[in-house]
Amino acid sequence: MSTPVSEPLNKPLSTAASKPRRRPLRFPWLLVYAIGYLIFLYLPVLLLPLFSFNDGTIVAFPMKGFTLKWYAQLGEQDTLLQAMVNSLIVGAVTALVATSLGLFAARAYVRYRFKGRELSEGLVMLPLVIPGIIVASSMLVLFISLGLKPSLTTVILGHVFVALPFAVSIMKSAFDDFDQSLEEAAFDLGESVIGTFRRVTLPIVAPGIVASLLVTFTVSFDEFVLAFFLSGNQPTLPVYIWSQIRFPAKLPNTLALGSLLLLASVLLLLTAEYFRRRSAKSA
Amino acid sequence: MTTQNIIEISGVEKRFGTFTAVRDLNLTLKEGEFFSLLGPSGCGKTTALRMIAGFQDHDAGTIRIGGQDMEHIPANKRPTNMVFQSYAIFPHLNVGDNVAFGLRKLKLGKAETEERVAEALEMVELGGLQSRKATELSGGQRQRVALARALVMRPKVLLLDEPLSALDKNLREAMQFEMRRLQQKLGITFVMVTHDQYEAMTMSDRIGVMFKGQLKQVDKPEVLYARPCSQEVAAFIGGMNFLDAAVTGEMNGKLHADVRGFGPLSIDVNPNVARRGPQLLAGIRPEQLEISAQKPDGYDGYLQGTVTNAAFYGENVHYHVTADGLPQPIAVSVPNYFHTVDHKQGDPVWLGVQNASVIDLGAREA
Repeated sequence: MSTPVSEPLNKPLSTAASKPRRRPLRFPWLLVYAIGYLIFLYLPVLLLPLFSFNDGTIVAFPMKGFTLKWYAQLGEQDTLLQAMVNSLIVGAVTALVATSLGLFAARAYVRYRFKGRELSEGLVMLPLVIPGIIVASSMLVLFISLGLKPSLTTVILGHVFVALPFAVSIMKSAFDDFDQSLEEAAFDLGESVIGTFRRVTLPIVAPGIVASLLVTFTVSFDEFVLAFFLSGNQPTLPVYIWSQIRFPAKLPNTLALGSLLLLASVLLLLTAEYFRRRSAKSA
Repeated sequence: MTTQNIIEISGVEKRFGTFTAVRDLNLTLKEGEFFSLLGPSGCGKTTALRMIAGFQDHDAGTIRIGGQDMEHIPANKRPTNMVFQSYAIFPHLNVGDNVAFGLRKLKLGKAETEERVAEALEMVELGGLQSRKATELSGGQRQRVALARALVMRPKVLLLDEPLSALDKNLREAMQFEMRRLQQKLGITFVMVTHDQYEAMTMSDRIGVMFKGQLKQVDKPEVLYARPCSQEVAAFIGGMNFLDAAVTGEMNGKLHADVRGFGPLSIDVNPNVARRGPQLLAGIRPEQLEISAQKPDGYDGYLQGTVTNAAFYGENVHYHVTADGLPQPIAVSVPNYFHTVDHKQGDPVWLGVQNASVIDLGAREA
């Protein structure tokens, strides 16, 4: 392409391009702001694991020394373990129900144009913006008037309500790039409607399903307000932790437990994000 | 050669709300025929194909495949299989499992399944690629897998929705011949939807041309090209010069007409013409005109004009020639014999035409 004529013309151009224009040196306000922001956001969270290793019951500097006893004691506390089991049950059931509902809702939202689609989608997403306290108190009133005593069942119902928007949006992104002719091809090759769903739809959106299960589980596991109102005498872990915070001697245990939960949450969300990306890529 | 009818469509109509996508479709296809539905996008050809496949119900009329009425028979129970425009290769399965997908329902033994998969892949020249991942296939290979996956089912009719539109030009041309060869070898009826007239002409036994939901003409490619039924069809297939003509008499299947620019010519009556009017519309293909600096010998009609445009297309050279009294320039296409463009813009030229090259197109369309 390069003729001898164009070469001298190109030279000054390329040297000019290779040297980026320097801005005058200034104090990096933006960088300071960004770092300050991150510290403000995450420092309190980091204090939690830090003091969980502190050999003393008072959460204040200076720290006393390193210990693992708060972690070791966790295993001996039956009510705590029971609360943990409650949370796991609620989380697992919520994740399964919300993800199943989200799977079908998302497929309908992405695939079909029907009357009331936007309204229904808006209603499904609404729990994201309704204050938890409003939802919690109105659900309590509703359940009691229906004769449902506060229990893990009512917590699960409440959690499905708040977890559904997450499930629907994750499943929608899984269906967005899903070529509809894949399902048609399976059907055309003699497969039944259910067989098509099982052999083609499910495997292809599987990473999205896993991501949705993990996220909705986390949403339920961390949820406090609804659980506080609806759990009755079967506290979930956040409700139990809240009740323990009033006793200073128990505080380090709570910190240890909180640190473990923090770690588990981060791991769960990272795994969920990994699957979500994989589903976006493979579709 | 059997001449049994495999598909009989009569009076089929499809509406989406107030929009009629397909109206009064009548079509009979013979066993072993390669048929193409050709038309611009949105003309209803894909809807027609999807009604044959069973993905869409028809609102009126009947569709019979192999003598059986297809009313209320869903796609998974019809003796048809489809190659999708996007190929719809299952991304979570390898090539072998993709091809074997439909065989599972037939409850064949493992050995027979494997044998049929191998045979189908051999047929599309992908022998031995059973374990290749679907995501590792090139565009051409995906197309072949889609073909094998449909053909392994041994359908009575194979439906193809724009099967070559996603391929680049060279691959597309190679696949045209290969699909034609495959179809002739298997003797299965192929019904292809395409908007590409060349693709339709090179591959098909017969072509149906659709406009605005209506099937306008069904004919062999050469008949469609030489005797189109209307201005619309003539304009869609190949290049065409349209000239108004005044009929002065009719005798022995010939129209005597004064063709604007070329003078009196004798035109064969076109039996396909759909609509007659007081004025005659004559058509002349650009490649059937002679262009020369001097008046050429041996033609039935002549026109003297000026070159307004000359373009080198590789295999041929295109000219636009204007003359007094012509509303539009006349397009002329000359084979590229010596890599030269013989006439320049502004040159005076003569055009010559034979009687046999002038096509009777009936009435001009508004």
